[in-house]
Amino acid sequence: MALTFFRGVQTRPLLSYPSIYFALRKHNVSYCNMQNTQLETTERQEGQLKGSTREIHSKPHDKLLKDFEAVIGIETHVQLSTQTKAFCSCPYNYGAAPNTSICPVCMGLPGALPVLNSKVIEAAVKVGLALNCSLSLDSKFDRKQYFYPDLPKGYQISQFDVPIASSGSLDVDLPVEYGGGHRRFGITRVHMEEDAGKLLHTGSGNYSQVDLNRAGVPLLEIVSEPDMRTGIEAAEYAAEIQRLVRYLDVSNGNMQEGSLRCDVNISVRPTGQQEFGTKVEIKNLNSFSSVSRAIDYEISRQVDLHTQGLADQIVQETRLWEEGSQKTITMRKKEGLADYRYFPEPDLPGVTLSEEYINSIGSSLPELPETKRRRYENMGLSMQDVLFLANDITVAKFFDATIAGGADVKLAANWIMGDIAAYMKNAKVSISDIKLSSEELCELIASIKGGTISGKMGKEILFELMAKGGTVKGLIKDKDLVQIVDPVEIEKIVDKVLADNPKQLEQYRGGKTKLQGFFAGQVMKESKGKANPKLLNQILLQKLNATS
Amino acid sequence: MANRALNLLRASTTVVPITTRRSSFLSPNIWSPRTVEVKQRRSKRSYSTSSLEPPDVSRLAETARISLSPEEVEEFGPKIRQVIDWFGKLQDVDLQSVEPAIRADTEGDNIRDDIPETFPNREAIIATIPNFEDSYIKVPKVLNKE
Ligand SMILES: [Zn+2]
Repeated sequence: MALTFFRGVQTRPLLSYPSIYFALRKHNVSYCNMQNTQLETTERQEGQLKGSTREIHSKPHDKLLKDFEAVIGIETHVQLSTQTKAFCSCPYNYGAAPNTSICPVCMGLPGALPVLNSKVIEAAVKVGLALNCSLSLDSKFDRKQYFYPDLPKGYQISQFDVPIASSGSLDVDLPVEYGGGHRRFGITRVHMEEDAGKLLHTGSGNYSQVDLNRAGVPLLEIVSEPDMRTGIEAAEYAAEIQRLVRYLDVSNGNMQEGSLRCDVNISVRPTGQQEFGTKVEIKNLNSFSSVSRAIDYEISRQVDLHTQGLADQIVQETRLWEEGSQKTITMRKKEGLADYRYFPEPDLPGVTLSEEYINSIGSSLPELPETKRRRYENMGLSMQDVLFLANDITVAKFFDATIAGGADVKLAANWIMGDIAAYMKNAKVSISDIKLSSEELCELIASIKGGTISGKMGKEILFELMAKGGTVKGLIKDKDLVQIVDPVEIEKIVDKVLADNPKQLEQYRGGKTKLQGFFAGQVMKESKGKANPKLLNQILLQKLNATS
Repeated sequence: MANRALNLLRASTTVVPITTRRSSFLSPNIWSPRTVEVKQRRSKRSYSTSSLEPPDVSRLAETARISLSPEEVEEFGPKIRQVIDWFGKLQDVDLQSVEPAIRADTEGDNIRDDIPETFPNREAIIATIPNFEDSYIKVPKVLNKE
């Protein structure tokens, strides 16, 4: 969880345009040089974050791209975080010993009958509503037939012609580093289905290994309209789906564990052309930055084929993203549509939803990422702050609780995005792991604002609170940190410092006024850092300039 | 082989939901002979199967992952055709004024709570797996899904 949080935050600056360099160079080179060029790009990209490569190389590439338009749609598989599988009571735990979570139903043994997990419908309705979809009051399950060792039954239970939800939309805010902007992407459909097992290919030997723990685990497949045009848009769409399922608490959305899987459909067409180009599917995308980079690579590859008059070499196929070489490679060529011979699943009744059920789920939905972002924006926070705070549901909850306690919005945002985020990053923990509570952050902000402690002391206390816990009041007392705001007391200290440093005082009065800083430092030191800085400077200046 | 193929073909007829246990494509009143009779009188349409494609036995065998000899393909063609023709009668039912029923009506919801239960006799399942090694099911190397 902790790691995921940071990945989420960090991917933004990592999103880059590796293919740009590649595209502009490849124009004059032969095909076999491709690899070298691409490797060079990869190396560059490691060192140069943000948009620097883009600025340097953008012109020829943009010009090339201006003549073409990419059309991108995404199919996302979300693994639901239910206790049990979709159609049997087998528990599912990621990382369990292989083939231990199995029963006659998920092993496809004869005579075993599936029974739907009610949580799957609940999750589908939540996601459907959150994606502004229309829900089908009557939907059904279908069998999708294919032969593969990870599918014991020889078919996958899925939804074919009547998905539980359809015709929705998803709002995203593009990262500020990439120019920002708000987009709305269409959602074609959301349907329920079961996952297949895991197939492991052994390095040597002519066999593969199958683990069927995952077989039958519930998934939602979310299909977008082909509304995206760039890798950044697609990556942000995927990130927003992750945020959404985490806000809704229906999935952990973890891409590394495969709980969130994105398959990208992409085609390129000359700008102005009505019909779509040949569609290529990209799989094996296990981070948002790989979504973005794979798309940019694929756009370049297809644009180059177009400009070289080789458009007929773009074929309908599935390509795999290779993280190592930063390229997409052919996985299989599709010969027409696969024949899955769908038919209604005879072992399961239809799925009926009542209006009351939908309404009760609808009224229990939490505030969604988009709503939260707009609310934060209306509070006067900058877009950078808004995106950071709303990115992770646990951070957003912490922030919300802090301001609900009366803390100043901007100050709370600054503490969370500054010292707290830095601490979490360093210690590789999430905000729910640190010992600081939102109440104490609220108290800390109030103590600084009220002048009880200085900002510097506040920082000191903050780190102690995060690491060891405790209360602001308790720490102030224990550490004797209460700020000295009594002018008489400060005056006493100033007098002492002036008396202790007669030589410097003489120099100051002789015109070396820069020594004020020296005196201020000495007074602060004498007060053990507790003197109120504003009062200190006021009194010090009076005393220094007083002609004795 | 031929037997297995026949079984498979026979099994595939259950695929047509009419014969299945819990449900039917058609709502019960349509399926009742009375309705069909009424309809036939009205339309006077003669029974015909021309709207159904003749079976491509070789392709059927391929999708079912069974191999058939040319003689078997020859032999099964008319038999499958017969089965399809039989089901083809359904094409004659006039559904113009009937709302499509997605699934047959069932009494109450057949769903369960999300409470885990470990299947007690997993060893017996594992024991039936022909090739089980190091906690994994061993299968011939496969790289591409079709
Ligand atoms: Zn099971």
